[in-house]
Amino acid sequence: MSLELLQAFKFRKKNTIIHNLDPRTKLLFSIFYSIAALMFTNIIPLLLIFLSLIPIIFIGKMIRDWFNSIKGLSFLIILIIIINTYFLSLSYAIAMILRIFIMISAFSIFFLTVHPNELALSLISMRVPYPYAFSFSLAFRFVPTIALEAQYILDAQQSRGYEMQQKGLINQIKNLFPLLVPLIVCSIKRAFNVAEALESRAFGSIKERTYYYALKFSLKDWIFTMYLFMFLIVVIFIKIQFNLMPNWFYWGLPV
Amino acid sequence: MIITINETPKIVIKNVYYTYANGTTALKNINLSVNEGELIGIMGMNGAGKTTLIRTLNGLIRPQKGNVYINGENIKSKNVGKLSKTVGIIFQNPNHQLFSNSVEDEIKFSLKNLNLSKSEVQGKTEMVLNTFNLGKYKERSPLTLSGGETKKLALASIVCRDPDILVFDEPTLGQDAKEIEFFTDLIKNEIKKRKTIVIVTHNIEFAIENVPRIILMANGEIIADGPTEELLTKEFLINKCSLVLPQITKFNTALNSIGIKCPKDIRFKNDMIIFLENYLQNKKVST
Repeated sequence: MSLELLQAFKFRKKNTIIHNLDPRTKLLFSIFYSIAALMFTNIIPLLLIFLSLIPIIFIGKMIRDWFNSIKGLSFLIILIIIINTYFLSLSYAIAMILRIFIMISAFSIFFLTVHPNELALSLISMRVPYPYAFSFSLAFRFVPTIALEAQYILDAQQSRGYEMQQKGLINQIKNLFPLLVPLIVCSIKRAFNVAEALESRAFGSIKERTYYYALKFSLKDWIFTMYLFMFLIVVIFIKIQFNLMPNWFYWGLPV
Repeated sequence: MIITINETPKIVIKNVYYTYANGTTALKNINLSVNEGELIGIMGMNGAGKTTLIRTLNGLIRPQKGNVYINGENIKSKNVGKLSKTVGIIFQNPNHQLFSNSVEDEIKFSLKNLNLSKSEVQGKTEMVLNTFNLGKYKERSPLTLSGGETKKLALASIVCRDPDILVFDEPTLGQDAKEIEFFTDLIKNEIKKRKTIVIVTHNIEFAIENVPRIILMANGEIIADGPTEELLTKEFLINKCSLVLPQITKFNTALNSIGIKCPKDIRFKNDMIIFLENYLQNKKVST
């Protein structure tokens, strides 16, 4: 697993239509695309869904970050190919890879374009209690910090002769322990520190609170939401009427 | 003061530049040479490029321009795992490297990476545990140790590999007086073994007492390189690096301001004690 995968979930400020959309629209986008990906196990429909994501990535000017997220999945992709080809078929393996690509891309777009503060506000507007919304946005905000910490841990372990890229799957899994244990320990310690710091600043002492920023659903949000609903309706229709689809829709590799 | 032996360059850094992906230039035209058995300190304000510089020494960071030579060899094509046999870096946060079930296993992990035999690993582990006074904790989980002991364990896990070059990032940070004393003795021993030592620190008192040569950095550049007692008493350099003058220098100035003529070249605690003793004795005689 490459650490670049975590970096691909870090918010980056840009001025594009996608970045300026309401976070709720983008949350809907990620959920709808994930649902769509989970509906099919054939290559062609999954490929079409995946291709429909490409223009959004281009409009959002996040090609490099998105590519890093995909590149970071290389270990998982190899694992999926080996397991699925061995137990099922290569076609199924490719379909599963496309499914993961869609889900990772959808959530990568969400995290790359939504500021943690906006995330909390969007959850509050969906009537999620403030402490939970805040905790969720805090967890989201810590993703880049954890990525940075993971890099520090990797550097520290390499400095005492640790080599991540060893041959053999079992060795590679074993090799994750020197990275994962310190990462989990540091994260838990930080969580306790943050909780204490929040409590010492009277977090949660007042139940009702006001907010400096207010989210507003604009025309472009309505248009994008309409597109998302239409997309999901089409996907559900195809799923229901799957047997009536042309032959190329079922295409798969002979193995 | 630790006496160092100057000989062939162990570390040579030539025209090194490094810019992070976010556009921050961390290193600008860095040129540095450190001899075998030499002890140097790197100081400067936060963000000056000190940590980035030490990360180039074992290939964790590859300079975009310029070269780093270790033992006369360009490390451009060498991997970090192999370089770690020669360059051991001890990072600021010890929690970033501890993962084993026991203190003993933590040391063993470092030694196993050297492909040593089982008996060699066992022997070296016992020796290091004794040297670092960690023997009593050998069965304990590293996560249950105190801050100072954790730092000691992190030190032990690198020193046990016996690298020619030891690099410490903020070794005195969060350490009590006894722990700093232990660290000072450790570096004295390593220098006796002709190890090359690089210490990144903000601790000016530690530097002036123990480090003979200082590199001062600001905005990714080396702004001064020379004897510690000379550089760390120059106010304009101290201000440029967001440091404070050593206490002895401040005390010296204070003595002169009240009319006690204290020589400007007194920079160490012991010299000051001798001066004050002589001064008081002379005063007694005259009265």
